[in-house]
Amino acid sequence: MKVICPRCESPGVTQMHAGMEDGKVLWRVWHCKDCAYTWRDSEPAESVDPKMRPAWAQMKGVDFDSLRQVIPPARKPT
Amino acid sequence: MATEKTVSLSAEAGAIAARVGSLRDFLTFLGEHEQCVRWPDPVMPEPDIRNISVAAGNNVATGPAVIFDQIRGYPGKRVAVNVHGSFGNLALLLGLPKTTPVRDLFFEIIRRWGSDKPLLERVPPEQAPVNENRIDKNINLYDLLPLYRINANDGGFYIAKACVVSRDPLEPDNFGKQNVGIYRIQVMGPDTFTLLSIPAHDMGRQMLMAEQHGKPLKVSVMIGNHPAMPMFAATPVGYDESEFAYASQMMGAALRLTTAVNGTDILADTEMVIEGELQLNQREVEGPFGEFPGSYSGVRKVPLFRVTGVSHRNNPIFENIYIGKGWTEHDTLIGLNTSAPIYAQLKKDFPEVAAVNALYQHGLTGIISVRNRFSGFAKSVAMRALGTPHGTMYLKNLILVDENVDPFDLNQVMWALSTRTRANDIIVIPNMPMVPIDPAAEVPGKGHRLIIDATSFMAPDNLGADPHLVDRPMGPAIDALMQRLNELQKGHA
Ligand SMILES: [Zn+2]
Repeated sequence: MKVICPRCESPGVTQMHAGMEDGKVLWRVWHCKDCAYTWRDSEPAESVDPKMRPAWAQMKGVDFDSLRQVIPPARKPT
Repeated sequence: MATEKTVSLSAEAGAIAARVGSLRDFLTFLGEHEQCVRWPDPVMPEPDIRNISVAAGNNVATGPAVIFDQIRGYPGKRVAVNVHGSFGNLALLLGLPKTTPVRDLFFEIIRRWGSDKPLLERVPPEQAPVNENRIDKNINLYDLLPLYRINANDGGFYIAKACVVSRDPLEPDNFGKQNVGIYRIQVMGPDTFTLLSIPAHDMGRQMLMAEQHGKPLKVSVMIGNHPAMPMFAATPVGYDESEFAYASQMMGAALRLTTAVNGTDILADTEMVIEGELQLNQREVEGPFGEFPGSYSGVRKVPLFRVTGVSHRNNPIFENIYIGKGWTEHDTLIGLNTSAPIYAQLKKDFPEVAAVNALYQHGLTGIISVRNRFSGFAKSVAMRALGTPHGTMYLKNLILVDENVDPFDLNQVMWALSTRTRANDIIVIPNMPMVPIDPAAEVPGKGHRLIIDATSFMAPDNLGADPHLVDRPMGPAIDALMQRLNELQKGHA
């Protein structure tokens, strides 16, 4: 099954780590390259199921470049 | 600048300060006083660690520290929470009985306040326990630390109780300008993280400086520290004062320092140090994070760091904190150290101030007890409190009570509110600076302040009530005298 980001629904996700128990994978940690959401696939649905997550916490269609800067960069990154 | 002021401790407090040199020592010591428990069952990272942390923190008086050493999927890894989660634990650290009232803890901190002669001991790096293990390549923070989500809608896994050391990017050799502070850290890629600071904080200043001048900013993220470090890293000391020196003197015992690979000073007995370097002008999407007002912060773009190396003790302990809707460990950790500087600053000008309780949500509500020197005096004291460094941003609701009302006893405070408040003694100051994450702001960073004067009514001076007017000399005789003076001044007498 294709893994997508539970927050922005991007398919651009990478596995960061797998938790092992008795030689078997118990859970995997994923990270989204678009919205930077990180999750473990064993978490309760309120954190990892797009349908169960609160609407305010979803970021599908958000323009990430328009987010507020806390420390404005001095120049464009090199 | 540091002074020669030193703290004097009771024999018992001195013995504890000498014995507790690290997180491990403190956990053992807490355990002897039934203030530390090892969770006996296997736990899932979510939601078990969150839920047990909240349960431990609910007992504000004597909730224990909790150690998890059976985290499913993280064999051999350990997490400690709620280490500073009860006033009982803080009392033990200060060498007092664990049932010591909060008011007495406040005055013990005040007694130690202002002592800052450095008590620092240098440990060669090869002898420092933190250097028992070193990772320079293939760094994966998700593998090295048993990371977990603190609140259900956090944007990721946070390291929320680390003490971050950084050198001034323009004066990297200046020990005093080395900063230690607690900043929220969100782990991003396997070897990257964001660190949230604001321009008003020391770290924010250093990030701005580094990017403006194109200089490297190296940081050391210390995880699992001597218990004095997180308590006093959050204390506002001057920019060129050392938090290490301050924490050592407040404990009355030497802190052991060593040098990290990246040149910063670190605690020799810290559990783990993540060395990172600011990626100049690069930003990553950060948040939300359940913050101390009990609501989530927004999602923003925040400076990004790359990990250059990790050192850790054998079998390291990942010390973390539960933070969210209060009461939480965060409130206990910083409450007294939020109240103390406000008190010290007020006391300098107004000796009538008896105590300050700013325990609530980092001082968003503060209660000041004060003896009215004259009618309306308490309001002047409130205005001065708003002008203190912490008050400028944080003191949103101020309640003034008489000097014989204990601000740490909310029943007494409610008595004062009920029986002493006159509705026309309430002041609202509109459009003041505010903490950006306070959801009560009009717009982020700007909102209104409230002062409730609940001190006893003091009659104003009645001088104006029955005036006996002075007869002022006037008329032709005075006019003639003025004319005479005028001529004398011109020299034709
Ligand atoms: Zn995403």
